Amino acid sequence: MKEAKKKKTPEISIGVSISALGAFSVYLITGLFLAVGFWVIHNIYFVDLISDPSLTLRLLWIIEFPIVVIIYSLLRRNPEKCSYFRAVGRSIVGLISGALINAFGAVSLGAPIGMQSLPRTIHWSFLMSVFTVVPATAVFGASWTDWHRVFASLKPTGNIEYMILIPAYGAIIGAWFGAWPMPLDWERPWQEWPVCVCYGAIGGCIVGQIVSLSLMILLRKHKNLKLA
Amino acid sequence: MTTAMTCTRLTIFTVAGIFLQIIGLSIFVFGFFPVKPTLSGVSGSESYRDPFCDSSPISNESELHHPEKLKLLYQVIDGLPAEFVLGKDGKPPWKVWKESMPYTQSLLANGDAIGYHAKAAPPTVTMPRLKAMVSGAIGGFLDVAFNFNTQALLDDNLLGQFFRIGWKMVMLGDETWLKLFPGLFMRHDGVSSFFVKDTVQVDRNVSRHLPDELNSDDWNLLILHYLGLDHVGHTGGRNSPLMPAKLKEMDDIVRTMHLRALMDRSHDQGQTLLIIVSDHGMTENGNHGGSSYEETDSLMLFIGLNSNISDYASATNNVAFQVDLAPTLALLFGVPIPKNNVGVLVPGTLSSLRDFEQLRALELNSWQLLRLMQAQIQNSSFPGFSCNCFLDGTCEGLELDISECSGDKEKQLICLFRNAAVLHGIWKSKKSTESSSAMEDFSRALDAYNTFLKTASEWLASKTTEKPVLLLGLGVSAMLISCFICATVFLSLFKDVYHEPKDQVCSLSFLLNLEEMFIFALLLILVISMGSSSMVEEEHYIWHFMVSTFYLLLLFKTSKSFNFSEGMNILRDFKFGSIFSLLISGRLLRGWHQGGVNWTYLPDISKWLQQAGSGYVKWIQLISNFLVIVLGLYTLFRTESNRKSVRILAFGFSACGFLTLLHAGRYQDEMSTDFGATVTVKVIYYLLSISAIGASLVLPWSALNKDKSFLAEVGDCLYSIGSAYILCWCLLQLLLQQPINSGPILLLLLQILAILCLSSNDLQVNEWVEIAALYYMGMAGHFALGNSNTLATIDVAGAFIGISSHSTILSGILMFMITYASPMLFLLSLVMYIGAKLRNHSHSTISTHPETSLGQILKLKLGFPCLVPLCINSILLTAYTVVLLLMRNHLFVWSVFSPKYLYVCATTLCTYIGVFIVAATVTYACSVTTFLKSNRTRHNNS
Repeated sequence: MKEAKKKKTPEISIGVSISALGAFSVYLITGLFLAVGFWVIHNIYFVDLISDPSLTLRLLWIIEFPIVVIIYSLLRRNPEKCSYFRAVGRSIVGLISGALINAFGAVSLGAPIGMQSLPRTIHWSFLMSVFTVVPATAVFGASWTDWHRVFASLKPTGNIEYMILIPAYGAIIGAWFGAWPMPLDWERPWQEWPVCVCYGAIGGCIVGQIVSLSLMILLRKHKNLKLA
Repeated sequence: MTTAMTCTRLTIFTVAGIFLQIIGLSIFVFGFFPVKPTLSGVSGSESYRDPFCDSSPISNESELHHPEKLKLLYQVIDGLPAEFVLGKDGKPPWKVWKESMPYTQSLLANGDAIGYHAKAAPPTVTMPRLKAMVSGAIGGFLDVAFNFNTQALLDDNLLGQFFRIGWKMVMLGDETWLKLFPGLFMRHDGVSSFFVKDTVQVDRNVSRHLPDELNSDDWNLLILHYLGLDHVGHTGGRNSPLMPAKLKEMDDIVRTMHLRALMDRSHDQGQTLLIIVSDHGMTENGNHGGSSYEETDSLMLFIGLNSNISDYASATNNVAFQVDLAPTLALLFGVPIPKNNVGVLVPGTLSSLRDFEQLRALELNSWQLLRLMQAQIQNSSFPGFSCNCFLDGTCEGLELDISECSGDKEKQLICLFRNAAVLHGIWKSKKSTESSSAMEDFSRALDAYNTFLKTASEWLASKTTEKPVLLLGLGVSAMLISCFICATVFLSLFKDVYHEPKDQVCSLSFLLNLEEMFIFALLLILVISMGSSSMVEEEHYIWHFMVSTFYLLLLFKTSKSFNFSEGMNILRDFKFGSIFSLLISGRLLRGWHQGGVNWTYLPDISKWLQQAGSGYVKWIQLISNFLVIVLGLYTLFRTESNRKSVRILAFGFSACGFLTLLHAGRYQDEMSTDFGATVTVKVIYYLLSISAIGASLVLPWSALNKDKSFLAEVGDCLYSIGSAYILCWCLLQLLLQQPINSGPILLLLLQILAILCLSSNDLQVNEWVEIAALYYMGMAGHFALGNSNTLATIDVAGAFIGISSHSTILSGILMFMITYASPMLFLLSLVMYIGAKLRNHSHSTISTHPETSLGQILKLKLGFPCLVPLCINSILLTAYTVVLLLMRNHLFVWSVFSPKYLYVCATTLCTYIGVFIVAATVTYACSVTTFLKSNRTRHNNS
């Protein structure tokens, strides 16, 4: 109890804040890098998600991961106590543990674990980890109270926490819905694991980003009105 | 509260709703799947007699003349639309098709052949079509469903009639024939229709024997069934580039056979009739099964009938029904027409016969149809008919003249037959005397017969396929009302339970929280997905996905309430452990059988184990057998009261477990034909039923613990009974199921124990959500045991374990038990669930409601466990009935939607039985305990 209190008091007072415009530019940069990733894969490696999912997914998360880490480490909690490189280091740990969690979720929902599809599942969970867990680890570190407050109790405070929470849940829910067309007998190549799930996750993430941006703007207006 | 439900009212409403549902369901089923009355037995010499004359002289002759050495070459080209050969709407076929079959087209142009567009009845798939062609009957859907233990065609049919007159038959091609007619063929070479991608080899395997067979002279009937064209259609559709080559190949075979037939005739070696038919057509994409024109447009081509047809148009522009083939061939070859035939003689095939023979053939056909009509019209609406009255002119109330036929259909048919018979009689009587007007009389009689036959055939066929709208509407509305009643009862109970105690209202921060939303969403998704045929085929994906999602939601909820500062106490550990074991066992269950239709070839655990060797399967069977016994006994002894009766029960179960192990270890390899195996299994059946029934009857009476509250007492007792039920059911399933399924049985038991552990550790989920989750888990387990929505996955072999003599009822019950192992297991676990809840309840609020009445307790504790499964099932059943009604013209109505409907009906039955057992057990235990308690207090007072 004591520890928790100690932790909490400085955290709320000292924290980097970000405006809606800043959040928008963060989203824009990460989105741009995702697009660049797709472009590189298509034009340099001449494959796409359908023809070679595991290579595509690997390249995607390798391209996306650094930029997410670089940006979100700037927005870390307690910048004085926690150096930039420590934030980068812990987000690498976060990447791996997040991939494990995502892989567990996917497999328990029925992702195949045969030898053929194992690399796909692994790279898909790394990409999901970049979308969901990595920003949070870069910002929160191992602070359980923050994780619990934001992800379990769904009580985010401040724009950064909106930026972490809503796109992450958006990606998860999008991936969940993305699995729906898989059992249909349309015999389309994108019905393979994990193509449509990936599209669903990316779509859900984008929807989450839009929702979080609009929430930020709405809440700011609300606050301003309150102050006035 | 005005809408407070008493226990009695609740029960009355529920039972009324269920009864309404049963009535509605049975009305709907009999409306949608008409069961036509059929005649049993085979046609014999009586078919040459007047149906109204029992005493007429017996003539074993059809009085038709048949050539001495008549042979029949019967070529079936699977899936060939008649349009390819005969064209459509009077136009010749497309150039590409016409040019691919030059020889057949030349035969048609020369008048050597006559072709018909033979309309096939849905379902346009091979087996029912073959049955229709050889028996002339249109089978109902339920005929297919109820013939689970044999595929052989037991009805009267053409091949059986040929066999009876000593014909030698040879079959080359689709092995469906061998399944339909086991033992009839002198020589056969079956090919499988399983490899749809194979379009070449499958036909080569048929044609390789053709030269030898054509040269040998020992057969009377040669059946060739080519599957290649159907496979070409399935892979590439009507316009597949492979199609012309395949048509050419078929044309070459026609030429080979026809040339051989011509040679035989020129050498005076008898006459050969060549018939080319297709069982069904195909759509543009090459599919079939439904009732569109493209699929039902099958071919019927007679070559070598000596019919005098001059022009191409009259040789190709004919229409018939597929069932007409049976009576035509029967009459052409002089065998009795199969009993349940609804077809008529194809006009134009008899022109080689003499006049009196033609009329005689029509008369025989009419008599056969009249016999069938007599069976359909039960009441004696054949007034005034007596033996030979047409000839003698002694018919009561009937004059010997021709009348216009009107009135209702039955009367009209009788009248038409009378006209024909009278005209036939006139022609017969005049034949010897006057020859000038004979020709006119003959054609009048012919026309009259043809009119009667056509009308009668249509009437009989419509009897088997028509759907009475009134019945369907009545059934659906009854089901809707009962669904509404169930939902209302559930809602009122919901209001009662969650709004009376004040403390629980506060804890419900939302009216509906995440899990409750999810339960409703799952129901909605299921109902929506039922409308898509591929989702019906792959239904197991939905169940597994949704149930796993539910586990993840539980995980989320638990971690939400998880507090780091409290530390990892043991209770939380149990909770997380249970949820993780649920997730892992759920995943294993999902991977055990790759069910469904489209992806059955994907690897799964069962295939992997079977490939690894039977030794592994045996080990898994032994281990899960052992673990099931251990787990079951553990739960049995978990109640604190270590009574004597429980110990006896445990002994009984251990004995059963030992016997099951023995049976698994010793007899399962030899497929239990052994006498010892049957005895062992019977002993297990008796022991298990005695233990289960004994447990539920005796345990409530056994010694009462003085310092325990009433609820704790009942709870303990119910917990023991529930665990006895579960253990009993698991042991039974271990015995009956295939060895590979013993793993899933263990996993299902683990799941039940895990979710009971969760619910007793305060899951913070409403009671009804837990019960709904149990129901859903049961359905997911149903698919994990290898079941699907096709009838093919029903384990027929297991249905004969321990049965010494053939009994359809007993093996039907066993089959039901095997198929519904998992839903029943989860329903039975509700007894244990109620027991655990009662115990928990008594721990927390030991004396808050000291004098709650029996009815109140039953309502609160038994209400949800009974109502939730009934409600879910009622909603699913009603929704699926509506879906089936909407899909009645869908392509896959017979292949996908109707089997699924049978499964839905069986699930309904399973739910009724399960809920009845739960309700009866709990009510009995509660009343016995109340009785004992009151007895004791009286005793103490006095």
